Amino acid sequence: MALLFLLLRPVLLLSLFHFGPISQSQAASGSPAGEDFSEELLLRPLPDRKLLAHFHFQSRAPHTSSDGRHHHLFPKAISQLVQKFHVKEMELSFTQGRWNYDQWGGFDPISSSNAKPPGVELWAVFDVPHEQVDDSWKNLTHALSGLFCASINFLESSTTYSAPDWGYRPDSGSLRYGSLPREAVCTENLTPWLKLLPCRDKAGLSTLMHRPSIYKGYYHSQRLRLTSSEFEPEGVGSGIVLEQTLTVVVQPSSQRTVRSYSHETKLQPSWSLTSIFGRKVSSRCVLAKSSIVYLQLDGSLVAELDSLQKENKISSADNYVSEGVRSNACFEVSVKPDRVLKELKGVEKKSPSVLYEFSIDKYNESGPFDLGLTWKVPVAWSCQKAPLHVSRFLMGSGNERGAIAISLRSTELTDELLHTKTSEGTCKLEVKIFQVVPWYIKVYFHTLQVFVNEEPQAVSDVVEKMRVSPSVDKLSPGVMEMLLKFPCGMKSAAITLEFDKGFLHIDEYPPDANQGFDIPSAIISFPNFHTSMQFLKDDSSDKSAILSKFEENSAVLAYTEVLLVPLTTPDFSMPYNVITITCTVCALYFGSLLNVLRRRVGEEERLENKEKQPGWLRQLLFRLYAKITGRPLEAVGSTSTSSSSSSSKLGFIILVAGIAVFWQVYYG
Amino acid sequence: MRFKMCNLFNWVVIMAAFLVLGSINVYAFGSPSSSSAETTMHTNNWAVLVCTSRFWFNYRHMANTLSLYRTVKRLGIPDERIILMLADDMACNARNKYPAQVFNNENHRLNLYGDNVEVDYRGYEVTVENFLRVLTGRHETAVPRSKRLLSDEGSHILLYMTGHGGDEFLKFQDSEELQSHDLADAVKQMKEKRRFKELLIMVDTCQAATLFSQLQSPGVLAIGSSMKGENSYSHHLDSDVGVSVVDRFTFYTLAFFERLNMYDNASVSSLFNSYHPSLLMSTAYHRTDLYQRRLEEVPVTNFFGSVMETIHTDSAYKALSRKSYSRAEINSLFDQSANGDKRTLADSNGQDQFSDLKNEDQQGAFRHLWNTFNDKVGKIEDVDSFVRYGLLAMVPLLLLPTLLSW
Repeated sequence: MALLFLLLRPVLLLSLFHFGPISQSQAASGSPAGEDFSEELLLRPLPDRKLLAHFHFQSRAPHTSSDGRHHHLFPKAISQLVQKFHVKEMELSFTQGRWNYDQWGGFDPISSSNAKPPGVELWAVFDVPHEQVDDSWKNLTHALSGLFCASINFLESSTTYSAPDWGYRPDSGSLRYGSLPREAVCTENLTPWLKLLPCRDKAGLSTLMHRPSIYKGYYHSQRLRLTSSEFEPEGVGSGIVLEQTLTVVVQPSSQRTVRSYSHETKLQPSWSLTSIFGRKVSSRCVLAKSSIVYLQLDGSLVAELDSLQKENKISSADNYVSEGVRSNACFEVSVKPDRVLKELKGVEKKSPSVLYEFSIDKYNESGPFDLGLTWKVPVAWSCQKAPLHVSRFLMGSGNERGAIAISLRSTELTDELLHTKTSEGTCKLEVKIFQVVPWYIKVYFHTLQVFVNEEPQAVSDVVEKMRVSPSVDKLSPGVMEMLLKFPCGMKSAAITLEFDKGFLHIDEYPPDANQGFDIPSAIISFPNFHTSMQFLKDDSSDKSAILSKFEENSAVLAYTEVLLVPLTTPDFSMPYNVITITCTVCALYFGSLLNVLRRRVGEEERLENKEKQPGWLRQLLFRLYAKITGRPLEAVGSTSTSSSSSSSKLGFIILVAGIAVFWQVYYG
Repeated sequence: MRFKMCNLFNWVVIMAAFLVLGSINVYAFGSPSSSSAETTMHTNNWAVLVCTSRFWFNYRHMANTLSLYRTVKRLGIPDERIILMLADDMACNARNKYPAQVFNNENHRLNLYGDNVEVDYRGYEVTVENFLRVLTGRHETAVPRSKRLLSDEGSHILLYMTGHGGDEFLKFQDSEELQSHDLADAVKQMKEKRRFKELLIMVDTCQAATLFSQLQSPGVLAIGSSMKGENSYSHHLDSDVGVSVVDRFTFYTLAFFERLNMYDNASVSSLFNSYHPSLLMSTAYHRTDLYQRRLEEVPVTNFFGSVMETIHTDSAYKALSRKSYSRAEINSLFDQSANGDKRTLADSNGQDQFSDLKNEDQQGAFRHLWNTFNDKVGKIEDVDSFVRYGLLAMVPLLLLPTLLSW
């Protein structure tokens, strides 16, 4: 049998060699049935002289039932997660910094899906029976913490995660949501994330991820989104889709724009990939189906440029929208774009956004890809904002109670909307709020107050729907889901909730308790507003991942600030101090009292004189005895040595007896 | 008189039986636990590197730990065999002028926080409980493999700890203490669970030597940066980073290792002798009484690297061919009895060493034997085995009368 196997082995190996390259090339070419991977990068200048870089990697694996459990491109670690914990959907994000909704945009696909709360946020939908969801969640958090070198396992405790019903996402029941606002995010989280990519950070766009330049930025959010149709019947869905995005907001160093100080408005800083990341893209990841870099100009920026050009009476020949043009009156792009895409007119949009597409297939080591943008004239524009500006803050003082307030302010967008919608008659602005509060912040939901235009309103007038699950001490957090309907003419609104601060057990305080405790971000979403940007008319299947992501109809949503609540912290050294002081005082008091009461000086001296003689004699005797036995003085009379010596004596006797018996046997 | 003699004789015979029994007991129970550790081969290396201090001004402790991490990685211990515990995030700390970088020298030539750092426990996870769990291997079932110390009886483990300490304790995150008793108990438990063959504990903290006072498990080597009553000082301040970046003891440890590569044969004693009290401003203390091998013969890569003896085998599946039999043999005897599925490799060199050791200790052996016998008789709990060995002891007893009557 073994011989047969030995004979067969070379044949098997040969066949492996034959089929290996074929399957690999299939994967590389990205046949529709197999796995595929694509890498994309979107760059967008921001109004506040910063630059947004958004990396988007997408891998897809077909159904395991049709394709087996072996993958060429898809990370095995992730597919095992899906298999083991029956994850239907999952999103994990690591974020540092806060997304500036006013300056960086609040009404576009990137802000609504990639702006994340600081720290770690995780939600997952499981495809398991209801009673097993919590177990799956706990195991998943542990697995992810091992995979991404983070303390995600703290989400295991039932005090940290919640099960939103409809406030966060429509699909409920098996959804779990948790966030760790204070989790540090650093290189050790990015490295395992990069290891999920087929080319890691060795080739392709991911080579740009120079750690110091990423972490130097104002905001970075690393996200992993998983959608699986693994547990649905075959043919439904497209297997497992893994989306990995890294969103970075950096400040280009504006050394080259020093000469522009004479201008009234400052010139936007010019940048290039080398100046931001310190690296160039020398090659594409050969395993990727497509490697594309986009440069996006905001709609309002395009409008601004249009008006500038009209002012300067520049001929329309070097219009930036026309294809193949890399330079115009306002800015210059260092690389000639392969394609220029214009957003198809949105409904309420004034001006369309423009995308320059650069395919990096043709670049190599000798001629690396280094996109740069040089501004020629100062331009000022503003991003499209969310319908309402949201902020959350604490009220009250002291260590006993306080209040959480969420304030909503209208932006110019709402004004526009009002004008368009009031004509229709039924104008209501819907706002959904989802907020999780840890148990030691005991929120009293009956104290809910709503102010519209700074006037108190009856709660029932504004609150359309509300679901509250109060916190249970040391067991579960307080969850609040609310659907509010505001009148359209509203300028500002505020919601307040009062709370009492609870007490923790001394062991439950973290090592830096005096820093305060974090309340995770609340999520405010606007179900009436959707972001979607369509750049291509045709529904072609080979649309790039970012573009198809832009087309998705996702609700506009915003995260509020994390709140820092100072709790009463005990003086951790207090028990020690109290014990020490009390003992000292007692000892001093009783000691001196006893001394005064009991001490008889004359008597003591007499006793001492008396005891001198026998003491000396005894000492002499001891010394004599010690000399005779040859043992140290202190060993005399100690019980341990006597017992050991007696046992050794016993042993000796037995030995002698044994010898005697043998003597008796052999010679007697 | 005759009757009396018989009685006496019987008594003596019974005593002799007990003697035989005692010796059997000693060999039956004592030898696998003690000798297997000495005869199993060094098969893998692990490192547990712990930085126990939080807060920015303790930057140097994290730099210490990361320097050691880099060193052991450079000398060949792979990431999956390193448990790195960092109590705070310094690299991406808001106060760090160099984001995602940690330096241990003001020349900033070496970024310790390179592109490939795997931190297993960080932030609030670095607690005494988790530390002891890692050492003893008592985790919840959900804890992933990357967070476990999966060592076995052929493992050499390096345990490096740095932080703030005092007389017989080491502070964790400024809120908990690891006491020398805790450490000794954990090590003892590790020994009993056969989680290591040799363990080097290296501690860079004030009064580090006191942390080792309770250790009593064999195969443990310990080195601390300072004696009782001494402080361990930082080496230098980086005015760009704004804090001290490395401790003296670790700095000179690294200076020693920078000269080495994976294949150097520098001995542990040369490392221990490289610490100069005037440079350290404290006295490095090493405890060697629990360690059997001569330090001059043990290369540092035994703990800081992952270099082990390879056994050449001719065929792939038969464990060892006849040619190499003289050099090494698979000792499957202990496999079945105690180890289950763990494979124990024993080389003849090790066995020789062991027998030498026994010859030397012959004098003490009898006493030891007698003591264990005393103990065993004192608390007979395992009646079954007692009866079994008693029966076994009857055989020579049967032989004796036959001889007598013959």
